[in-house]
Amino acid sequence: MEIGEPGRTEVAMNSLEEEKRNSMAITRRGFVKAGGALVVSLALPAEILLKAEAASPDATQLVSWLEIHSDGTTLARTGRTETGTGMSGYYAQAIAEELRVRPETISLVMGDTDRTPDGGYSAGFLTGMENVRKVAAYTYQALLELAAKQLGASASDLRVAEGVVSGGGKSVSYGQLVHGQQLELKIPVKGELPKPDANGWVGMTSLDGITVTGEPSIKPVKEFKVIGTSHPLPGIPDKVTGKTKWSCDVELPGMLHARMVRPATMGSTLISVGDLERKKFPTADVVKKGNLVGVVSPSEWEAIRAAEAVAAGTKWTEWAGLPGSENVSRAIREYKWEKADESKGNADAAKEALAKAAKLFSASYEQGYTRHAPIGPFVAVADVRSDGSTTVWTHSAQSQGLRARIAYLLGVPTEKVAVRWLEHSGQYGRTTFGGDGAEADAVILSQLTGKPVRVQWVLQEDLAWSSVSPAWVADFKASVDEHGHLAAVHSAFYSPHMTDPRPVGALLAGMPSATSKPAGFVATEWPYDKIQRLEEAFGMPNVGGEAASGGLRGNIMRTPGQRQQCFALEGFLNEAAAAAGMDPIEFRIAHTTDQRLIDILQATAKAAQWEARRSPRSGVGKSVAKELTGRGVCIIVRSNAYWVGIAEATVTPATGAVRVTKFTIGCEPGKIINPRQLERCMKSGVVMGLSEALKEEVTFDRSKVTSTNWSRYKILTMEEMPEIQLVTISRDDKGFGGGSEAANAVVPAAVAAALFEATGVWARRIPLTSGYVQQLLQNG
Amino acid sequence: MASELTLTVNNAKQTVRAAPDMPLLLVLRNELKLTGPRLGCGMAQCGACAVLVDGEEMRACVTPVSFAVGKKVTTIEGLPAAWAEQKHLSEAVAAKTLHPVQQAWIDEQVPQCGYCQSGMMIAAVELLSRNANPSVAQIKDAFTNKGPSPHLCRCGTYSAIIDAVQRAAKAMGTEKGK
Repeated sequence: MEIGEPGRTEVAMNSLEEEKRNSMAITRRGFVKAGGALVVSLALPAEILLKAEAASPDATQLVSWLEIHSDGTTLARTGRTETGTGMSGYYAQAIAEELRVRPETISLVMGDTDRTPDGGYSAGFLTGMENVRKVAAYTYQALLELAAKQLGASASDLRVAEGVVSGGGKSVSYGQLVHGQQLELKIPVKGELPKPDANGWVGMTSLDGITVTGEPSIKPVKEFKVIGTSHPLPGIPDKVTGKTKWSCDVELPGMLHARMVRPATMGSTLISVGDLERKKFPTADVVKKGNLVGVVSPSEWEAIRAAEAVAAGTKWTEWAGLPGSENVSRAIREYKWEKADESKGNADAAKEALAKAAKLFSASYEQGYTRHAPIGPFVAVADVRSDGSTTVWTHSAQSQGLRARIAYLLGVPTEKVAVRWLEHSGQYGRTTFGGDGAEADAVILSQLTGKPVRVQWVLQEDLAWSSVSPAWVADFKASVDEHGHLAAVHSAFYSPHMTDPRPVGALLAGMPSATSKPAGFVATEWPYDKIQRLEEAFGMPNVGGEAASGGLRGNIMRTPGQRQQCFALEGFLNEAAAAAGMDPIEFRIAHTTDQRLIDILQATAKAAQWEARRSPRSGVGKSVAKELTGRGVCIIVRSNAYWVGIAEATVTPATGAVRVTKFTIGCEPGKIINPRQLERCMKSGVVMGLSEALKEEVTFDRSKVTSTNWSRYKILTMEEMPEIQLVTISRDDKGFGGGSEAANAVVPAAVAAALFEATGVWARRIPLTSGYVQQLLQNG
Repeated sequence: MASELTLTVNNAKQTVRAAPDMPLLLVLRNELKLTGPRLGCGMAQCGACAVLVDGEEMRACVTPVSFAVGKKVTTIEGLPAAWAEQKHLSEAVAAKTLHPVQQAWIDEQVPQCGYCQSGMMIAAVELLSRNANPSVAQIKDAFTNKGPSPHLCRCGTYSAIIDAVQRAAKAMGTEKGK
């Protein structure tokens, strides 16, 4: 195959020169000869030692996406990354399916801006998969044509199995076909790579990056051999044996280690930097720009100790512009709300029904701040050269977006910047918009020191200074008919900025960083078509947003918007069912005609041995039992997938402790791509959802975040995990759905309903900590 | 002040120049390039940095390197060799045999992001050395209540970990029976 543009070969040579300059012992398998043209052999761990060149491969050229090697293996490139939910497996499966090869023969390059063509965000699995799937489909057709010529048969008479084309009594492998060949293939694409954009809803353009267009012939579902099987994730063996190179393992010649010295409060400005005792820390240096202070050293241990010493002597102004976490709902309520940023539904019909309601039913829901809270604090390495050319090694889920943001920060053309992606701790949406990691810190310190710098955040810093999933309040009202059914629902969701991924380093340093205007969005995919509805969403600026650091920078988090709005909507449905004296599952089925939803609801209910009855049980509230039990349900429809959660819980009234004893989760995501990976995502999603339902809340006082370690920002432990039962339905006729992200969202409302069934008391806020539940029971 | 310290890491004697109070984690990662153990909380609250010291799980982020002098340190990189030694495997067999805990982690597809899993496998090896056939409750107890803190996984792989520990127990038990 041919290199798409003349410059690419040169790129490769530049890298070689670079390699020579780095007098490191790099074992590099070098260049692979692919059809007469040289291309860089990828996916070699040692390559993290090389300075990347900045140009992104031309997405209109096949070779930018796929290389078929003469040994029959295929290399595919995607701007998306593995975030722990199995993308690396699904992409390989989708490509293998279209190419008619085994998935083990596919290797992937993910997320490197100089080695992948399309960009895009990693959670956008469906769009990312569609890109590589279409590329593979186009390639397959081209290979068939080549084979037809070589075998002297017509393309329609050829059969292909495991990369071998047969026809006319002869056969040829893909490897033989491409050997010495130049496969000229233009890939039709639209879109462009991201740019910072203050007018865009996430502060950047082109969240999806480049999209492959056209309608190549795609294999019909009934012929699938690879999709629908439990292909193991390719990265797991190396992770288990310690061979994986993570972003925290990047080491460059001459690299400095850095620890940051953060302000005393969220809005402090720097008065003076503490002394660095030369005798004690001979090779350390303090680096500062604006309110950004870091301590660098060739030795990580010296950087750590010197940063502690400098921090102790550094003086900051005082600031107290936060409401305190216990007052955050009030602060949101007190904001001068004007009109909704987004409305969905049939406003006129809903308003009319509400105006004529025989009976109105209303309730309000809320939640404090939560956060992504990765186990590994963020880390990044940056190498900013004097000519502005910059390479960043990191684990962003939006490499091209990050690249654009770094270029904007430095004031250089995007082409000057390359982002290399490596694995790191899961981050659950925090970097979907290309921001909020340690990258800006690393870039600024590298620019100031003229050396490659590795910035390692520590947990306290990650839990205090990273972006957060914002607090919210929601008001619901419904008109209820004579049967207790809901005729119309009006919901209003109020939340601070939820799409502000600005990196804290850029903000503290006072360097350019684009964000969007705060705007609420309706995330619900309305599942109850028998109900007229008007959904409204309102956005306000970050809480504490006037602070130099941006305050509590609101960002999306796993199942963003849907998660929060689902807790409110499904809580409301549960309350309405109870008010109508109806079983909550029957109540839901009575309000929808969507058979896919009904099917998975019924299948999950059956697996959970759900007995139809009204909630709460009679006699609840008068019970003097030491432990009470209940069960509850929640559903969500999202990205062509249907989810059901059924919680069974035990409540100890004396202490307010809620223990979930069993959770049944059902999912119908269209065609299941990989049953085993779906199942593990379902189970782990339940764990994350329970963590949010029972434990998680960011606490802050007037000045700063206070939940800065794992005993203050509590997440679910293994002992607290209940028995988890799974129900899945795979359908061949509904395409593919999002099969992992929403698993967490069906948990909180189901647990709150179980608490209600046990005690007769509604919890309209999460987390259901023992203190909060005890208070609810006392006020009962 | 840096001094010369001799450690036994993954069965090899290693001499490093390090301040005695430097965390073992930094010595393993930066001096010996063993990147299996990873920085999580830095204060023994999560378990991502766990290693075995004389067979017992320790949190390398808060353990001074001086503590490990004269003791045997094992990271995930050293688990296959530890197993081979324990089982007197021939060199040829050892070369293609992982520790049963690692193999179970692959077979059960445990890691999601995988960041915490090095510490999880270390905890599993230690648990199985004390209890050859742990129940689900005992596994939950070991990963939650033993040591300075629970082993935390933010991706939520606890269920897969339990399955993998039981799978490894079975594999190791079968091995013993031979």
